Amino acid sequence: MLSARILQRIIATNAAWPGGITAAAATLLPSRVPSSVPELGPARPAGVRAMSFLPPTGPRRWPLYNEQVFPPTGADEAPRPAFVCHVKTNVKYSTKKMWYIASMIRGMSIEEALKQLQFVNKKGAQIVSEALKEAQEMAVRDHNVEFKNNLWVAESFATKGRVLKGLRRHARARPGIVHYRYTHYFVRLEEGAPPEQYYADAPLPPEEMLKRWLEQRRQRTITHSL
Amino acid sequence: MTTVLKSAIVIGTVAKACRLKVPQQTRQILAAQLPASEQMRFKHWNPKFRVLRGKKIIKVELPNFNEDEEAKQLSPDEIRKKLKEKGMLPPRPWQERTMSIGCTGGVFEEYVPPEGDGKVSIVSTTGAKQRLTALEKKGKSMLSVRKIRSYDEEFDVGEFAEQAVEIYKAAHQALTARDKATLHANVTELAYPKMMQNVRHKTVRWQLLKSLEPPRVVHVRHTDILNKENVFAQVTVRLHTQQLLAIYDRFGRLMYGSEVVGKDVLEYVVFEKHLADEYGRWRIHSKVVPDWMPARDPVTRTWRKEPVPPPEEGEAEPEKGDQGAETGEKAAAAAS
Repeated sequence: MLSARILQRIIATNAAWPGGITAAAATLLPSRVPSSVPELGPARPAGVRAMSFLPPTGPRRWPLYNEQVFPPTGADEAPRPAFVCHVKTNVKYSTKKMWYIASMIRGMSIEEALKQLQFVNKKGAQIVSEALKEAQEMAVRDHNVEFKNNLWVAESFATKGRVLKGLRRHARARPGIVHYRYTHYFVRLEEGAPPEQYYADAPLPPEEMLKRWLEQRRQRTITHSL
Repeated sequence: MTTVLKSAIVIGTVAKACRLKVPQQTRQILAAQLPASEQMRFKHWNPKFRVLRGKKIIKVELPNFNEDEEAKQLSPDEIRKKLKEKGMLPPRPWQERTMSIGCTGGVFEEYVPPEGDGKVSIVSTTGAKQRLTALEKKGKSMLSVRKIRSYDEEFDVGEFAEQAVEIYKAAHQALTARDKATLHANVTELAYPKMMQNVRHKTVRWQLLKSLEPPRVVHVRHTDILNKENVFAQVTVRLHTQQLLAIYDRFGRLMYGSEVVGKDVLEYVVFEKHLADEYGRWRIHSKVVPDWMPARDPVTRTWRKEPVPPPEEGEAEPEKGDQGAETGEKAAAAAS
C-alpha cells in the first residue's frame, strides 16, 4: 500500500506554486547573431511573490514585446523589420520532446516551416503549426505586415509549464509517480527573407575559409627578420 | 514469401528495434497490398498485458488550462451548458453600479452641409451667398443659442468659432502626445475610443498649418436626456484648414500621410457641452461627413480580398464592393 507520507508529498506538490519557469532555452543555444529586439525589464516588480492558492497565469513578458513602440526611422536609416511574438501556454506535451520540433524550424521561412511540420510525425508538430498560423494572422492584422508569407522564424523555443503528479503502482506494490507535463511554446516571426545562416558559428564556405587563413598568415610579424 | 511481405516484416522489425511507430499511412498501404492470408501482425499475440499495465495507473482528470481562451470562441448556449456542467451560476444580468452620463450617444438633428461646399470660390455668387447666410436666419439654431445663453451669458457665436479651433488643436496635440488627461478634457466619451483605437501602438505626427477660411458656426441644437433640466447643447463648426498628418506604425515605418506635404481639410466638427453641469466644457463630440465628400487618400498597402460567398437562391446578390479599400480606409489611422 502506498505510504501516507508519499501521498501527502504528491498532493502538496500539485497544490503548491511550481518552481519558476526554467531559464529559457536561449541559454542552451549555441552563439547566435544577436536579436534586434531590445531587452525588456522584469515582468513584475521584484519582491512580489505569487500566492500559492491562485492559478498560474503563465509567461507574461513575451506578449509585452508586441506592445513596444519604436520611434520613426530616419531617411538614412534602414527600415526596421516588423516582428510579432506569440506564445502558446500550458500545452499538454513534454518540453524535451518539443525541443526537437522547436529547434528544427529555427531560421526557416514560415512557408518552409509549415511545409516541413506537415511531415513530422509528432504531436508537437501540430501544436507548433497552429502557433505559427496564429502568429502569422496576428502579424498581418495588428502589426502592419503586408504579405503573410514574407515572415521567417527568428526565435523558437519551449519552456516547462505546469507539471502535475499522479500515482501508479509497480511490481510488489511499490509506488511510482507519473508526471503529467505541460509546456509553453514561444515563437517570434520577423518580416523579410530568412538569413543564409541562422547560427553564428556555422561552417564557412571553402573560399571564405581560405581567405581568412591567408589573412591570418599575412598578418604575422616575423621577428629577427631582415 | 513474397517480396512485399518480406519488406513489411523488415520494416516492422526495424521499427521495433528503433522504437519507432510505423506511420498510419505506411501501415495502411502495406495492409492493402498484402493478401488476407498473409496479414502483417501489428498487435501483440496476447493483448491482456497492455490492459493490465493500464490498470496500474490511477486515472487523473487533467485540467484544461486554456479553457478561458477557448471559451471566447463558444456561443452563449455552449457557455451556459459548460457552466451547468461545472455547477456554476451564470453571471449577474444586472449592474449594481451607478452610471454618470457625460455626453449624449450621438448627434441629434445632424447638419446637412450644402453640396459643393469648399469647392466654390468666395468671389463667385454662390460662394458669397453661402458666406452671407449667417446663423441669424436659422430659427431653431437661434433658439438653441438663446438656451445656451441662459446657462452661459457670455456665449458668442463668433468667439466660439475661434475657441473651437483651439479645442481642436489641443485635442489633436494631446492625441499625438498620448496625453489622456488633456484628451479627456477636450473630447467627449463618445469620440475618445474612436480616436484612441486607431493610434494604438502607432506614432502620430500632426500639425495644423493654417486656416484657409475663418471658422464658422453653422448649426446649433440642444436636447435633454432623462429630465427636462438635464440639457446638452451641440454646436457644429465648419473648419477649412490645411493640416499635416504622418502616421508611423509600431516599427517606425511610414504608414499614412507625409511630414512634408500638407492637405486641405474641410470638416464639420460637432462640439458638445453638458449645460446643466456647472463644470461642463465644450468638447469635440463627433464629425458630420456628407456623402458628397471625396474619399480620403488610400493607404499605401494591400490587403487580401475576402472571397464573397455565392448568393443563395431567392436572395439578392450582394454588392461586390471594393472590400479591400474599405478595410484599408478603416484601418487608416486618420486621427480626426
